[in-house]
Amino acid sequence: MKRVGIIGVGCSRFGVRDDVALQELAFEAVKEAVQDAGVNPADIELSVVGTVGTRNYELMPAVPINEYCGFSGRGPMRVEAACATGSAALYTAYTSISSGMADIAVAIGVEKMTEVDTATSLAVGGRSGNYLFEFHQYGTTFPGYYAMYASAHMARYGTTEKQMAMVAVKNHRNAALNPKAHFQKEISLEKALSSKYVAYPLKLFDCSPISDGAAAAILASEEKIRELGVDNPVWIDGVGYSSDTSNLTKRPDYVGLRTTVEAAAAAYKMAGIDNPVKQLDIAVVHDCFTIAEIMAYEDLRFCSKGEGGKFIENGDSDFGGRIPVNTFGGLKAKGHPLGATGVAMAYEAVKQLREEAGPLQVDLKNYRALTHNIGGTGHFGWVFILRR
Amino acid sequence: MEGRELTFRHKLPKTKIERYWKELENNTILATRCSRCGEKYYPPQADCSVCYSDDMEWVEIRGEGTLESFTQQHVIPQGFTFVSKPYTIAIARFGEYRVMGWYEGDELPKIGEKVEAYTAKDETGISKVYFRRRTLKAEESP
Ligand SMILES: [Zn+2]
Repeated sequence: MKRVGIIGVGCSRFGVRDDVALQELAFEAVKEAVQDAGVNPADIELSVVGTVGTRNYELMPAVPINEYCGFSGRGPMRVEAACATGSAALYTAYTSISSGMADIAVAIGVEKMTEVDTATSLAVGGRSGNYLFEFHQYGTTFPGYYAMYASAHMARYGTTEKQMAMVAVKNHRNAALNPKAHFQKEISLEKALSSKYVAYPLKLFDCSPISDGAAAAILASEEKIRELGVDNPVWIDGVGYSSDTSNLTKRPDYVGLRTTVEAAAAAYKMAGIDNPVKQLDIAVVHDCFTIAEIMAYEDLRFCSKGEGGKFIENGDSDFGGRIPVNTFGGLKAKGHPLGATGVAMAYEAVKQLREEAGPLQVDLKNYRALTHNIGGTGHFGWVFILRR
Repeated sequence: MEGRELTFRHKLPKTKIERYWKELENNTILATRCSRCGEKYYPPQADCSVCYSDDMEWVEIRGEGTLESFTQQHVIPQGFTFVSKPYTIAIARFGEYRVMGWYEGDELPKIGEKVEAYTAKDETGISKVYFRRRTLKAEESP
């Protein structure tokens, strides 16, 4: 298996992007990534397009995106894994290079979510589990799925609505300094706690916004990186993947995600990590809802099961804490355009590892970062370990 | 500008567990169990995902369940606007089967509380499972 590195990253501004079409939005990220890598678009051998594609008017969007970015004849390999679609794109680009099928590939993640109204968006997201036995009968929604994990976590471990709100406050504070974020505004704990319930116990400020956005990453083999003379590659040291049942009723509990636990175990093993808090400098975790970040602390082994609420309360996931988490603002405040998210996570991690994160830069000791991306309610899970 | 109208209204197939939907109309909730390997399924399925056998037996879910998680849905998705107030979705465990249902009433349930399940049709004619808090009936008390 060949060693693979990331040589260029790009990310559009996230938010309501009714100023651009889907392919124009993708192009913003691809152009930045190509320039960042210092390659010619003609050098790219394979394009992988990750997009869920159910909320934008272009229902089969991979080809229009690929054409606009100038990759006709070299892709698109289109992938979908709900909210982890971006990681599926990265993984596909990674395996195509590590296997020797390609030497240089681009992973493009893009989503336009604001072309339909909120009620439609909720009805699409509510179908991310099992349609007949969940949405059709019970009107599940995406916030509702995570809310069921939140209520169980609160009952078993005493996690509080206040602790969940603290995740929102931290991530909004970070996003205020991220020029690509949907919400570049701090919020107070009181404001988060007094917002209206969307799906009890999750309130408006526990939820990531409905955003448009795109991200791109250019991956290359070690030989190609040498040949191109890239001096700042970020290596993919570890990759882990897992999946779980579509029906929530076929899972044993609602206090953690098996996909996170299994994906992390595989990625840690591949990268030689046994103490993630000590061996990583920073983590980018899947905080589509505040409870998801709290469960991620536990399932990624940053703390023991049930201690996630205390972890945020003690500032362990803040700058200067045991391991800074979502310093870019998280999905919670930067935004969560489904297809873009996994690639945008790599973008943020690469910026940190190259010490290009400006006012959000953390101190590096190990030069290692983690990205953790979940699709659906733990239906898909990826963990990547990146190293400079 | 607005895009051209596109309406999705899927025609639902019968599926191999037609009996589940029929029995829901008779206040019966069915799961399946694999006769070969013993794997249990709720929602029921006609084929075993573990041993690939199609020799499945129907099992009725009844009695007392324990509520394991819930949410009260305040923001209503398209397709459920017939409900005029927040609805509560819960998951309860009955022995080795977990079941999703609507928890009746406006009050929030408590995790760990005992419930019983029944079926009914909602305003759109779709049969589903409902839960209500279980109160000890006179003939059941010790
Ligand atoms: Zn079987």
